[in-house]
Amino acid sequence: MRWIRKRTEPAAVAALAALAWLACACREPPPSPIAAAGNPAPVRGGELHLASFGDIKSLDPAVASDSLTDEAIQLMFAGLVDFDDQGRVVPDLAERFERSDDGLVYRFFLRPNLFFQDGSPLRAEDCKRSIERALHPDTPSSYSLFYDRIVGFDDFQSRKRDHLAGVVVEGERVLAVHLREPDATFLPAFAMQALRPVCPSAGDRYDDAWQPCGAGPFELASWDKGRRLRLVRFDKWWEPGKPYLDAITYSYGMNVVTERYKLEQGDLDIDRELSLPDTFRYQNDPRWKPLGAYDGIPSINGEEMNVEMPPFDNVEVRRAVAAAIDRDELRLLKTSALVPLYRVLVPVLGGDDPNFPAQKYDYAAALEHMRRAGYAYDPKTGKGGWPKPITYPVYKQGLYELSAQVVQQQLAKIGLRIEIKVVSYPTYLMMTKRRGTAALAPSSWAQDYPDPNDFFEPIFTTSAINDEDSNNGSFYSNPKLDDLVKRGRRELDPKKRKAIYDEADAIVCSDAPWAMEYQYRYYGVHQPYVKGLRWSAVWPNYVRDVWLDRASKVAMRAGVPRGLLASLAEVLR
Amino acid sequence: MIRRAFRRVVWALLVVWATTTITFFINNVLPSDPARMVAGPQARPRDVERIRQQLGLDRPVLEQYGRFMRRLVHFGPSHVSPKDPEHGTCATFGPLHFDLGKSYQQRRAVTTILAERLPRTLMLALAAVLVETLIGVLTGLLAAAKRNTATDHLTVGLSLVGISAPTFILGLVLQFVLAHRLRLLPLDGFGDTPAKHLVCLILPALTLGIYGAAYYTRVVRDELIGAVKMDHVRTARAKGLPMWRVWLRHALRNALVPLVTLVGLDLGSLVGGAIVTETLFRWPGLGALSVSALLDRDGPVIMGTVIVSATGIVLANLLVDLSYALLDPRVRR
Repeated sequence: MRWIRKRTEPAAVAALAALAWLACACREPPPSPIAAAGNPAPVRGGELHLASFGDIKSLDPAVASDSLTDEAIQLMFAGLVDFDDQGRVVPDLAERFERSDDGLVYRFFLRPNLFFQDGSPLRAEDCKRSIERALHPDTPSSYSLFYDRIVGFDDFQSRKRDHLAGVVVEGERVLAVHLREPDATFLPAFAMQALRPVCPSAGDRYDDAWQPCGAGPFELASWDKGRRLRLVRFDKWWEPGKPYLDAITYSYGMNVVTERYKLEQGDLDIDRELSLPDTFRYQNDPRWKPLGAYDGIPSINGEEMNVEMPPFDNVEVRRAVAAAIDRDELRLLKTSALVPLYRVLVPVLGGDDPNFPAQKYDYAAALEHMRRAGYAYDPKTGKGGWPKPITYPVYKQGLYELSAQVVQQQLAKIGLRIEIKVVSYPTYLMMTKRRGTAALAPSSWAQDYPDPNDFFEPIFTTSAINDEDSNNGSFYSNPKLDDLVKRGRRELDPKKRKAIYDEADAIVCSDAPWAMEYQYRYYGVHQPYVKGLRWSAVWPNYVRDVWLDRASKVAMRAGVPRGLLASLAEVLR
Repeated sequence: MIRRAFRRVVWALLVVWATTTITFFINNVLPSDPARMVAGPQARPRDVERIRQQLGLDRPVLEQYGRFMRRLVHFGPSHVSPKDPEHGTCATFGPLHFDLGKSYQQRRAVTTILAERLPRTLMLALAAVLVETLIGVLTGLLAAAKRNTATDHLTVGLSLVGISAPTFILGLVLQFVLAHRLRLLPLDGFGDTPAKHLVCLILPALTLGIYGAAYYTRVVRDELIGAVKMDHVRTARAKGLPMWRVWLRHALRNALVPLVTLVGLDLGSLVGGAIVTETLFRWPGLGALSVSALLDRDGPVIMGTVIVSATGIVLANLLVDLSYALLDPRVRR
C-alpha cells in the first residue's frame, strides 16, 4: 500500500491546491470597477447590457403583467404621461394635460410631429384605438379594472357597445377621457404601460401574433424568446438628441452568479440581482459603494391573518401577533434588503408621520392581548395559548422559507404554534386566496401604480373579497374602512387624501388583518461608465436617459485580469 | 424479428399515450390556478376569471382532455397559415397534424416552441453523450489495463467523486474555473452563429459528460476485467497479439454491449432536457423550458415537454432493444 500512497500524493496535493485556489478566489474582494472616460457631457452611442434571472412572456403593453416586462415596455411604448423619479405623473407624448374642475374629464394635448416606430404618425385617434384594444373583453389583460371609472367601461366590457364612450377624440392632437366619478387613481393608472399607444399594425383588437411596435424611445430589434431582447434607438423620438444609447440588450434566465461574473468582466453594465454575500462585498468595498443604490419601489410584506378562521377571528389574537413580531430580528435574515415596516403606507406614499399609531414589537402587550383573547400563555411554564397547531403555507425558493422559521419562533413565545407547510408557488397562491383554506400566511403586495389607494382597495376592502382568487386574503371587512377608501379614491385634494389614508391605515394597524413586517428593497450596482442612471420609484432599471462614458477597450480592460497567467498571479498575490 | 419490432412499437405508443394521459390529469388536479399565473399575483379576480374563460380552463377536466386528445393527432389541410383559427397552432406533416395548443404564458403554438428548443437539446444531448462515452471508455480502459495500481485506484476514486457531485456543483466549478477565472470559454448562453453555438456548448456538455463519464468508467472497467478472463481473449493473447489490440479488438467489443444500453437510455433522458445544466448555463433547450413551464403551470407546454421526453426515452429503449439483436447474435434466436 505504501507505494500507492506515494504515487497518489501529488494528485492529492494538486486537488487540495485547486480547492484552496477556489476557496481563496471566493473570498476575494470584487475587482476594480471599469473606469469611465471622463466626458462631462452626455455622449451618444454604445450598447447597454442588462440581465435578469427572470424571463418576459409578452411585449404587448395590454397584457404584460410583471415588473421585468415593464422595464422593456416602458422603453418601447411611451405613454401620453409617464412618471418622474419620485413617482409623480408628468407629460410625455402629451405636451400637457389638464383636469376639469369637477375632476370628471382629463384632457391630453399631444406633442406635434409624433411618430410610431413603423413610421406612421401618432394621432389622438390612435390613442383611443389603443385604449379600446387594451380594455376590450377579448384581451387577456390583468389590469382592465384599474380603468373601470371611465364612462361606458361596463357597456364596453359586456359587449353592449363597440366603443368606449368615455374616451373622446377632440381633434388630431387632443384626447379627452371622461370619468363617471372623480378618481384620484386615474392619472397614475393611466401612466402605467397598459393603455400606451400601439402602432396601427396592432389593429383595434388584441392578437397574439402581433409584432410589438409603439412610440417609445427604443424599438424592437430582435427578441429570442427565453434568451435575449435587443432594442435599438428610435430615431424619430420626440426629444431632440435622445435617447443617447444606440441599443439596449437584455439577457434573460441568467444565474445570479453569472450576472456578477459578467458585471466584473464588463459584459454587464448594471446588476440588480446580487446575492446576499455579493451585496455585502460590494457595499463594503469603497470603490463600489458609490456605484450602488437601492430602488425606491414601494412594497409591503407581512403576516396575513384570515379573520374568518380561528383563532384569527378574534381581533385580540391578531393584535397579539402584530405585537409579537420583532421586525428588527426578522430584518437580520437579509439586512441588506429588508426595511422594518410598522404600517401600511411606506414613507414615499405618505406614511412618514413619527407619531402615527403604528404596529410595533411589544412582547408584554402581545401576552396581554392573548390573555384578553382567552388564550393566556405563560412563557415560564410554556402552558396556555391556542391549543391547536396552525398550518402556515410558504413557497420554496423565496425569503418566506426562511422568515417562516423566525415567525414560528416568535409566535411560539405567545402560545401560537405554527406548522410550516412548504408548497410550490402556484399552490401557495391558490391556498392563500381561497376562502377558509389558510388561517395564517406570509403575504406581500407590490405597488401597481404609485398611489396610497393601491395599498388599501385591492387587499383590505370588502370589494376585494372573493371565495376564490381573493386578493383580500385576510377576508377582512370593515364598512368604515370601505367608506374611507372610497372617499380617498374620489378625493382630489392631496392634503385631505393624506388624512383619509392615515385614518384608514390606523384602522388596519389596529384591527390587524395583517401584521406588517418589512419592505423589500433591491440593491443594484453599475459600472462607473454608466451615466444618467436613475433609481425610479416606479420602474426598475430606469435606463431611458442613460449614456455610456466608456474609455477605449484597452483602457477599459486595464483593471480586469485576463487569461491564465493574470488570474494565477492575482490569486497568488 | 419484424414481429418483435412491431410489438415493441405498439408497446412504445401505448407507453407514450399512458404518460400523456397521466400527466394531463395530474396537471389538472394540482392545487393551482394557471389563469392566476398568467394574470399575475396582483390581478383583480374579475380579470383572472376572464383569462380563465379565454384559456378554456373553466370547462370540465374530461372535456378539456377530450379536446386535447382530439387535437393532438388529427388530419387537416397540408398547408396552414399561423393565423388559421382552426389549425394555426398545428405542426403539419402533409395532412397529418400535431397540435398541442398555445402556451398560456408565451401565447405561441407549443409545437413552434418545441421546434425551436428540441434541436438545441438534441445538440447538447449528443455532445454530452459523446463526452461521457469518450471519457468513460478511455478511463475505464485505463483503469482495467492498470488494474490494482495507483492509476486504477485514482481513476475509480475520481469516478466516485464524479458520480457523487451534483451537476450544479460541477457546473458552477467548471464555470468559475474555465469561464470566469481563465476566460477560456463563455460563461453561458447559446451564441448567434454555428461556431459560437459550439463554443457555448462546451461547458454544459462537459458538465453533463463528466457526470455521466464517472459512471461509464466503472461499468467499462468492470466489464473489461470480466472480458479479459474469457477464452477468446486468452487465446488472442496466447497467439502473441499486441496488448493494445487484445484490449481494443477483443475485450472492449464485449464490454460495449452494456454501454450501448446506458448510452441509449442517457440519450433518451437527455432529450427531455438536462434541467439543471440548461438552466445554469442558459442553454435554451427543453430542460429550461420545462422548469419555467412547471413554475408557471403552463399546461400546454408541460404536456409538450412530457410528450417529447416520453417519446425520447421510449424511442431510445426501442433502439437499444433492436440494436441488441445486431450486436449480439444470441438475442436474435
